[in-house]
Amino acid sequence: MIALTEKKSGFLNLLASRQVRRGILVAPLLIFFILFFVIPVGLMFLSSLNTPAVGTVELSSELTLKNYTRFFSRSSYLIAAGRSLLLASIVSFVSLLIAYPTAFLIARTEHPGRVTFLTLLVLIAMQLDIVIRLYGMMVILGDNGLVNQMLLGLGVISKPLPLMYNFLGVVFGLVQFALPFMILTLVGVLRGIDPSLEEAARSLGANRFRCFYRVTLPASLPGILAGTLLVFALSVSSYIVPALMGGFRVGVLPIHIFQQVMQMAQFQFGAAVGVVLFLISLTSIAVYLRVGSSARGA
Amino acid sequence: MKKRRIPLLILVLAILGFSYLLAPIVIVVLAGLNSGDFLSFPPKGLSLRWVIAFLQSEKYLSSFFFSFRLALMTMVISTILGTMAALYLSRQTRIWRGVLQSFFLSPVVLPGVVVGFSIYAFFISTEFPLVRTIWGLWVGHILYSTPYVIGTVGAALAAYDLSLEEAARSLGASPVRAFFKVTLPIIAPAIQAGSVFAFIVSFGQFEVSLFLSAPNSEPLPIAMYNSLRYKFEPDAAAAGIFAICLVTAAVLLTNRLVNLRKLLHRA
Repeated sequence: MIALTEKKSGFLNLLASRQVRRGILVAPLLIFFILFFVIPVGLMFLSSLNTPAVGTVELSSELTLKNYTRFFSRSSYLIAAGRSLLLASIVSFVSLLIAYPTAFLIARTEHPGRVTFLTLLVLIAMQLDIVIRLYGMMVILGDNGLVNQMLLGLGVISKPLPLMYNFLGVVFGLVQFALPFMILTLVGVLRGIDPSLEEAARSLGANRFRCFYRVTLPASLPGILAGTLLVFALSVSSYIVPALMGGFRVGVLPIHIFQQVMQMAQFQFGAAVGVVLFLISLTSIAVYLRVGSSARGA
Repeated sequence: MKKRRIPLLILVLAILGFSYLLAPIVIVVLAGLNSGDFLSFPPKGLSLRWVIAFLQSEKYLSSFFFSFRLALMTMVISTILGTMAALYLSRQTRIWRGVLQSFFLSPVVLPGVVVGFSIYAFFISTEFPLVRTIWGLWVGHILYSTPYVIGTVGAALAAYDLSLEEAARSLGASPVRAFFKVTLPIIAPAIQAGSVFAFIVSFGQFEVSLFLSAPNSEPLPIAMYNSLRYKFEPDAAAAGIFAICLVTAAVLLTNRLVNLRKLLHRA
């Protein structure tokens, strides 16, 4: 009887120990993530190594590299991969060009109410469902869209410019998608730059441009790198933007995955394309996290 | 401190940047309030014709409410699990916290198509009875929404002075009582803000929903996508107006609860 109570209190002590008690806080989410994220993604990796069998999802124990040799030996898939990478690089660069001055304005505005207002505008755009924003983009850029109607009306062009359902249209759409992420990343870094650095440069006789070029720009480099990597990862992964703005005419990896899986029931090959995309995205995110933590001085 | 003026060039470029960001949203509002059969420029006139059409359309209204219900369901679980995880993370060493935080963030930044496909294949191959049900969507959306709760609550906990809770403990409060009486009231606004974030993230989620939704009960983004592939329906834009109002209200609400400017800029 005594031994039993002792054992029980030992167990209770263990339960009461801080680390275990705290572990209980994170356990439900951890289990949820393992069950519905880690295991499914792990199974996808496994299934990409299975012999292709149309319509079969079940895993088999035989492993093969057939799906990968198919991916890396067909020019159409390699072109799609190259196009995805090119697209994401262009979008990162264009977003940076547009976002930098915007972020600069937010970071340098001193009136707190105005900063909040501008930040909220960026946040609203970011949180708003991308399909709704793309609806607006399509109305602006389509053949009968606002830009073409205006240019035709002014007599600048004689037939509509092809601004959509092509590579260019996907770039426009992805920049729209990525811009808020780039702006917010840059604002964080630009706000952190010590103003006395710039004041010192100015007082030593540097003009505004030189001061920006030699002081502000180098100091914001970590933010530029972090934002570029984040935008790269987000744009290489996007399905909806190439689907709507490219009208399925711009084949990128996410479109191929969806078609292989949902239209052709090629689960194993779709999984292999998924693994390729996953690894591209994971690499840029891993670098982003490293850069991001060093930018915060950690 | 000397006031730093913003160069005119920067100002002009920044206005262009904001225009690029906000023009599509303004266009959707105009398209939804346009009185013509399609959007022309300049608009023919304003009317509530398409808003009324949306309120009477079976397709968009039902998917709007489907999304709303799904977002509420997601919000509840994400808030509970995310707050608990944030409490755990706030009391860990920096390295371990960084690793776990990155892990919980990963569904948001990794390809949605891949995550959606793997959950879909997982449900089918294990005969998990969640394929093409609201519960399957729910699972996918929780993965996406919870990181936002962790981030928002985590930021509040980072700024929270733990000695307050310790003071309560030393005055004889049990750990649970100290938490509910001292810590929870202080971080409550951040929890509410996190839950609002979780709601809007779920409301706008697209790529995971693409794989997990059923043909007759689609979330709003999927329903809009399916119609946008073929034509521009002004009643879809009217549905967009309601979504824009919802997101704007949600962002304003979070800003009242926590200082978003400080949360984002860490300054």
